[in-house]
Amino acid sequence: MKKFLFFSRLFIWFSLRDMRKHMGRAATVLFGIALGAAVFTSVRLSVNASLDSFTKSMDLIAGRADHVLTRPGGYVPEYLIARLLDHPMIRNASPVLTTYTRVSQDGSEPFLLIGFDPILDRPLRNWRINDKSGQSPVVWLDLLKEPFTLILGEPLARQLNRAPGDSLYLEHAHQKTRFKILGMLERSGLSLAEGGRIALTDIATFQEFTGLFGKVDRIDLQLKPLATARDRADIQRLLPESIQLNPPTAKRESGQMMIRAYQLNLSILSFASLFVGMFLVYSLVALNAASRRHELAILRATGASAYHVFFIFLAEGAFLGITGWLVAIPLGNFLIKYLLHGVSQTISTLFVRVQVDTLSLSVSEIAFGFAVTVGISILAAYQPAREAMQVAPKEALEISQLGMRPRKSPGQLAIWGLICILLVLPLSRLPAVLDMPLPGYLAILLLFVGFSLLAPWALQRISHSSSAVLLKRAGIPAYLASRYVRDSGTRTAVSVGALITAVALFTALVIMIYSFRQTVTYWTYETIKGDLFLTSKMGEINRFRYPIPQQVIDDLQDYRSEIDILPNRRFFLNYGKFPYEFELMDMQGFMQYASFFWLKGNPKAIRPMLKRGEGVIVSEVFSNRTGLTVGDVFKAQIEESYLELPIIGIVRDYRTQGGVVFYSMPHFNAQYHQTYWGGLRFFFKDRSQDLDLAVAKLRNDIIDRMGDKVDMYSGKGLRGAVLKIFDETFAVTTVLLLIALVIAALGIATTLTVLVLERSRQLNTLFAVGASFRQIRSMIFWEAGFMVVIGELAGVVCGFVLSCLLVFVINRQSFGWTFLYGVNWGALGASIPLIILTALAAALPAVKMVFRKPPATLLRER
Amino acid sequence: MKRRSEKFAFTLLCLFLMTALAGHKVMAEDQNGYLTVTGPCHPTFPKDHGPHPGYRTEWWYYTGNLLAASGNQYGYQLTFFRSQISPSDTTTNWPRPSSAWRTQQVFVGHAAISDLSKKKHRHAELMAREALGMAGASQKTAATTVFIKNWSTTIGADSHVLAAHTADFSIDLTLQPAKPPVLHGQAGYSRKGSTAKKASCYYSLTRLISKGMLKIDGKTIAVEGLSWMDHEYSTDPLEAGIVGWDWLSLQLSDQTELMLFFLRQQNGEIHPASSGTFVDRSGRPQHLTREDFSFTALKQWQSPRSNAVYPVAWHLNILPLAIELTIVANLNDQEMVTAATTGVTYWEGSVSATGTLAEQPVRADGYVELTGYAKAFRAPL
Repeated sequence: MKKFLFFSRLFIWFSLRDMRKHMGRAATVLFGIALGAAVFTSVRLSVNASLDSFTKSMDLIAGRADHVLTRPGGYVPEYLIARLLDHPMIRNASPVLTTYTRVSQDGSEPFLLIGFDPILDRPLRNWRINDKSGQSPVVWLDLLKEPFTLILGEPLARQLNRAPGDSLYLEHAHQKTRFKILGMLERSGLSLAEGGRIALTDIATFQEFTGLFGKVDRIDLQLKPLATARDRADIQRLLPESIQLNPPTAKRESGQMMIRAYQLNLSILSFASLFVGMFLVYSLVALNAASRRHELAILRATGASAYHVFFIFLAEGAFLGITGWLVAIPLGNFLIKYLLHGVSQTISTLFVRVQVDTLSLSVSEIAFGFAVTVGISILAAYQPAREAMQVAPKEALEISQLGMRPRKSPGQLAIWGLICILLVLPLSRLPAVLDMPLPGYLAILLLFVGFSLLAPWALQRISHSSSAVLLKRAGIPAYLASRYVRDSGTRTAVSVGALITAVALFTALVIMIYSFRQTVTYWTYETIKGDLFLTSKMGEINRFRYPIPQQVIDDLQDYRSEIDILPNRRFFLNYGKFPYEFELMDMQGFMQYASFFWLKGNPKAIRPMLKRGEGVIVSEVFSNRTGLTVGDVFKAQIEESYLELPIIGIVRDYRTQGGVVFYSMPHFNAQYHQTYWGGLRFFFKDRSQDLDLAVAKLRNDIIDRMGDKVDMYSGKGLRGAVLKIFDETFAVTTVLLLIALVIAALGIATTLTVLVLERSRQLNTLFAVGASFRQIRSMIFWEAGFMVVIGELAGVVCGFVLSCLLVFVINRQSFGWTFLYGVNWGALGASIPLIILTALAAALPAVKMVFRKPPATLLRER
Repeated sequence: MKRRSEKFAFTLLCLFLMTALAGHKVMAEDQNGYLTVTGPCHPTFPKDHGPHPGYRTEWWYYTGNLLAASGNQYGYQLTFFRSQISPSDTTTNWPRPSSAWRTQQVFVGHAAISDLSKKKHRHAELMAREALGMAGASQKTAATTVFIKNWSTTIGADSHVLAAHTADFSIDLTLQPAKPPVLHGQAGYSRKGSTAKKASCYYSLTRLISKGMLKIDGKTIAVEGLSWMDHEYSTDPLEAGIVGWDWLSLQLSDQTELMLFFLRQQNGEIHPASSGTFVDRSGRPQHLTREDFSFTALKQWQSPRSNAVYPVAWHLNILPLAIELTIVANLNDQEMVTAATTGVTYWEGSVSATGTLAEQPVRADGYVELTGYAKAFRAPL
């Protein structure tokens, strides 16, 4: 304890007082690290909020069920319920139906309507009527008594501004109906699912509303505790072959898996900000170690051990980390408001629907953010601390001019750097670990470290070889600047390393986003072709599970002379834990107007096979995720049919929420079973007319004839919407990237300021021996120029390598897709000079610092 | 002559009306659209073993005392409640087409076994709507079946077959009536309140020779003994101010039986409509009115779950029959907490009695039901 108190006092006297003296630079570093910590923690908390919301919703909806009966891509026949309830090993069974619906013409967001039997469901799920408002506790019984009644989640009732006793019109694919609100749910149990945007209704009402007579989405089961695998097999024997008995966790796990992959990617990206912040800490602690060498020697001479010195500098790093983390709290509070919305929207679009209503502050997550921030700050301080402990007490009697000498020469560091870079290739070829591209991320880390380690050598070499040329071409200031950068050692290199990291990230992400967008745009225009798309009402949000009304199909026949109608049907299935869509379409018609974005297989040979229903084609995502490729057999249970079809090709597809398998609809209907039309796309036969006008006319005609029974999107609108979703998805990424760049700019500003301050005596000597202010300023700008240009060049090279890793390794292993590699030279060409200018602007504070004290005073000191 | 013929015609008309009234139940629709019991029910069998939709509430209630070869004694209860949740005419407002789940009938089942040797009471409950074969009551070829999931009673020409399989225990019994059905009150019209409508149609099978199996803790036990069956239906039997009732059935050692019910009022008094039936050896019923008997609690027991205080021993005196009995619960804790179905907490338990009948010593086994002790009884569904 005594030792600790002594050390604390020493730290306060030696380090904190000095930091207070140089408040500006300490504040800059703190701000940088705080920004990094805020980004890192906010991103993780935001994704966690979505993950929590999803898991909570899934758990609350699954309730206490330990098994669930489903029919892949279809419905479970309701008659099974009595059979199941009769089974001696089944304790409880409850059928469930869910759909998204919305208040008619209200413009409000859809909400989840759950149809169930309130009697059978009681043992499985917790839900209670809020009886504070005087509602009868047996409101659930009224659900059975009165058709078209429901109970609303309290947040939903508040949003809809409705109370018990009120009514509302709900619309759905089948009809628009008036519902009476019987009561509100207490804010516990099931009512917390989907952020409280749920409504409960009796199963009879649900079926009458949606037209799903005789079937249910699933039957949740609770088996008796002693039920064995044999009992489960016995239950399975009671069921038709197409019905699957699984644990309810399967859907939850596949959703969680996708969100976690996204979380990992965002965490790594946000960690880049912290990584850049780490350079800032290094640079400040290294400066302190170097510029206070004389004081260190005195400290040592007066009895401090080498370890005292070592720990003082480690403590400096820890102090910066802890304080930075504390400052990050208000910053994070601000950031999270933006990220929470952006992240949950991206997850809803890409993976699974989430409704984030609360931000759960997990202690472990906060502790993790704290540990990472403080950990990397200590790590950043380690090397300077090691250097500082080498200061000998005898240096107290010398006037040091040398500053800190690096223990390793730039050449040695460069060799380590090269080794790191060389390891990138083999690492990038390793497969994902636990479905996470961990070797890929390690490759990225080694890439950053490798380039940063190369920086001192590159600076030394370039300065050395350019000094003579600069002397001739740019004069003395440029020459002196190049000499200084050459001799400045690792400290300058560290800031260059920060810049390399930020620029590399910028370059790589610009390339990746561009490649991705270009590929998606091409895919959109090739595959999502069609002049008008039509689905049943709210078809998309309900995963096209409701057929297009027959009357609509009949009415559309009148347009046959003008348009070609291409029906499709999508089944949402799982291959193991991996979710995918099985899409049936009229291949003949589709290929007349559109085409696939082929990746593997010979399109010329595949097209006729597809039209003849001789096999399926799968998306790249499906192939990468399942390991199935051309020549393998695709096997699936789809409703009551079991399919075994050869895979004849692989196509690129950027549909969200999993992979896709395509098959011919007429052949499915002929060989397996008849299926309804879930969606349609129209192509005008006369392609020479004004298609926009024709689409608008057709759309209006359909609305006039059929009212608002269906949802329609113009092909142009749909393609635009796809690209808009794409851009929104990358909004979060762009913000994270900009923050990393800001931190890098802070790094440059700090380093230059530090270098100037450290050399005040030297600069003033120059001034004293005849150099002009202009020349000295020019020299500092040249120094900044050296650092920035080298940082930029190395960053761009590193960025190109990184972009390949992102496109071909990280994306493939995280999401299953790759893109056509493309470089947005325009954006890079415009933004890189901009970064150079920004970085040079960061030199301005340094220049201002040069002659803050009169030269004579400075020369007199020491 | 004309006057004589007119008088004859009037007499004929009166006779016709009387006959018609005697042969048909007196029923009417209440203001809510349910059928109500307002006069003699005149049940006919096997038809009236079946369900009576239109009335709000109906139950088939089996209780009994059984003995295993080992000498272990068991009490059991198996009850099927039918509750009509909306008036019959509301079906016209149902959406068309209607879902197979749409129904007006909800069935509730309560089952219990009192293991008197091990002093352990187990109970279970079930509830399901009458849809998709999950629950129901029907009559086919003179046999009535009432079932909820895997609990059922099948009432045939000469037997009742009971089955109930719960997580904790099972009941599989065959009951054979030793006496014909006994109609309580006036031809089954059992008054429960001050007005004619506060009544139910109520009959019992008072002595059912019972044989079968119980399964407790995975062990199957062959048992035999006597059971009692009540079948009752009504719409709104209890009037305001009645907080619960005590019901008692006893099978006496002299081959007679006794049923009594006491309607307890808020003010602590017994409602005058409380009544009973004594069944002689030949199966002939004798109606007992409130004035005929006194029933005094001798001992009480407090439930650790509901904190309700139940009487568990009584003194019964029926003056017109010279019956004097001391009745004692065979197990204090026979409380039924039915939160998952009706929400009613009540006591339904096996009892034994000793005393005299016409100065002759008798003993009896039976069942007692006590409602409204945890809180005032309110029709749950």
